[in-house]
Amino acid sequence: MNELDLLKKDWKKENPNYTQVSEFDIYKMLHKNSSSTVKWILIIGIVEFIVWTGIGFFFNTDDYVKSIHAEEMMIYLKVLTYLNYAVVLWFIYKFYMNYKNISTMVSTKQLMKDIMKTRKTVNQYVAYNLAMIVVSMILGFIMAFLYNPKLSVIKEKIANDASNGVLLKIIGLLTLAIVIFVVIFWLFYKLLYGILLKRLKTNFKELQKIEI
Amino acid sequence: MSETLEQSFVQQLKENQNIVHKICRLYTNDSDAHNDLFQEITIQLWKAFPKFRGDSKFSTWAYRVALNTAITLYRKSTRSVSTVSYEVQKHFFAHEEYNYEEEEKLKLMYQAVHLLNDIEKALVYMYLEDKDYSEIAETLGISEVNARVKMNRIKGKLIKILNP
Repeated sequence: MNELDLLKKDWKKENPNYTQVSEFDIYKMLHKNSSSTVKWILIIGIVEFIVWTGIGFFFNTDDYVKSIHAEEMMIYLKVLTYLNYAVVLWFIYKFYMNYKNISTMVSTKQLMKDIMKTRKTVNQYVAYNLAMIVVSMILGFIMAFLYNPKLSVIKEKIANDASNGVLLKIIGLLTLAIVIFVVIFWLFYKLLYGILLKRLKTNFKELQKIEI
Repeated sequence: MSETLEQSFVQQLKENQNIVHKICRLYTNDSDAHNDLFQEITIQLWKAFPKFRGDSKFSTWAYRVALNTAITLYRKSTRSVSTVSYEVQKHFFAHEEYNYEEEEKLKLMYQAVHLLNDIEKALVYMYLEDKDYSEIAETLGISEVNARVKMNRIKGKLIKILNP
């Protein structure tokens, strides 16, 4: 193909007319911020940690538990809290290892895999938090139902209802609330990372196609 | 220590900057995007520089990091396809001996290459730089046979674009 040879000849010219960047310009660039995909995943990941941890601190369950006199539940909540800390620490470690391992010096395919692995950790972390919230919500409902005196009216209604219609309605409503909550979050993340990783995924698929 | 590292990096990048320019030229269509990508590649090169040991040439090391940045890390995707870029035009008027027919062919060729996808551009880049297939395969993380097959397909694709 002589066009390609022609291109190669032109390509190899010693002095192509690129606007040359000075040493000063390069120094300036070194102190600018990267806007790479990895950087954005890292930023979102950190924000995620802060937000989820913040939510945990905001909801001080101890006072609530005391106020409804459900002290016997305290031990379970404590176990859950410490278990949660352990899991979060494990995620922080995994995050750190993922970022440490990302290097532009490996093959393109490996680099893509590493980036996607990082994203997967973020996803797992989000999924874990969502699951935690669902568990806490259910636990909260049950506790409120069992201990909160304000709910005794509803309890009576359920007790008087032989067909269990009221109970089913309540369970149905709560389930619906949880499902809507989870779906909204899921869509949000899908959109967020979808935009961020669209090109990476396209290129990764292209590389995989070559292998077939 | 880090002062001298920075100096040595800036010096070497300045001398080898055309490698980066060439990759920017394949992956971007206007001078703004070109400069943007150049900056991102510079940042990535600087980040990776402490791990660069002098056992290979700076240029050999740099092009790989630059390609990886262009393909996987660069995020400005406002790239309109098939417009003749300012960079390309400027390049063409810079020729000493002016062969109109050849110029025209070259222009079309560059346009055709711009229509390829990111991975194909990487293969074309390495082909133009006379990298052997084992190196191409290693850089992309595919097998040597597949790299050859893919390069042949790209040639076919380019012919198709040029002779519709």
